[in-house]
Amino acid sequence: VSDLNAGAVLGLSAVLLGVGLFGILTRRNFILLLIAIEIAMNAAILNFVAFGAFLGNGGGTVGLSGQAIAVVLVGLAATEVAVGLAIVLALNRLKGSINVGEATSLKL
Amino acid sequence: VSLELWAFAVLAVVAVVTGLLALLVRELVHTILWVAVFFVDLAAIYFLLEAPFLGVLQLGVYAGAVTILLLFGVMVTRKRIFFREATTGIGAGALGLALLAIVLVATAGSALFSAPATLHPYAVADLSQLLFTQDGGWLVLLGLTMLSALAGAIFLVREGRE
Repeated sequence: VSDLNAGAVLGLSAVLLGVGLFGILTRRNFILLLIAIEIAMNAAILNFVAFGAFLGNGGGTVGLSGQAIAVVLVGLAATEVAVGLAIVLALNRLKGSINVGEATSLKL
Repeated sequence: VSLELWAFAVLAVVAVVTGLLALLVRELVHTILWVAVFFVDLAAIYFLLEAPFLGVLQLGVYAGAVTILLLFGVMVTRKRIFFREATTGIGAGALGLALLAIVLVATAGSALFSAPATLHPYAVADLSQLLFTQDGGWLVLLGLTMLSALAGAIFLVREGRE
């Protein structure tokens, strides 16, 4: 590999997804869980940007569509953090802790 | 080896290291500071990939709004904001590392590294035009999602339930 290509960016994206998954599986604090989900989501957005940047618009507008979807995804991720923090506040008020192990009200 | 590849390599290493540090440090506030560095680093990668609009969006939404929201979340749920996390199970860590290894092997084993290497620059005006014509539906859908999420968030944190 002598120049920046799509494979390098997709590789970074895969590693970041792994980092996010690692966090989701190991952390028990709700805020850390949210951060891990954000890292995984950023990996997905990076994927869209990479495909948009390297495929270009071969006749159509393929390349720009990738970035348009990435724009929508950034908004979606911000929405997800807002709802996640609402859950954190509700959990903190109900249980007095934001450890996900304490949220067991739906257990049979 | 081109200058772009060097820049990307440095940014990629910083992204992975700050991402891991964010999940591994014990102080929750340090986590948020590391994840802020991670977001800024990704914005730099977007600029490198000829996506300046997305880079600015990343800086504004992630490095700005999301970081402050997370800090706010820490602030209102802790008596002292500097707080050490309890240690976690080693089995789950091993499982996470195994998943990371699987993803890495799947990536390296594919033909990705002979992928196209030509960047396609574009005018930001074209992107905005696309967002209002061909991909306009996505934006409308995002707006509706945000509206319902706002309603849901208010429902979750409202006072005087039960």
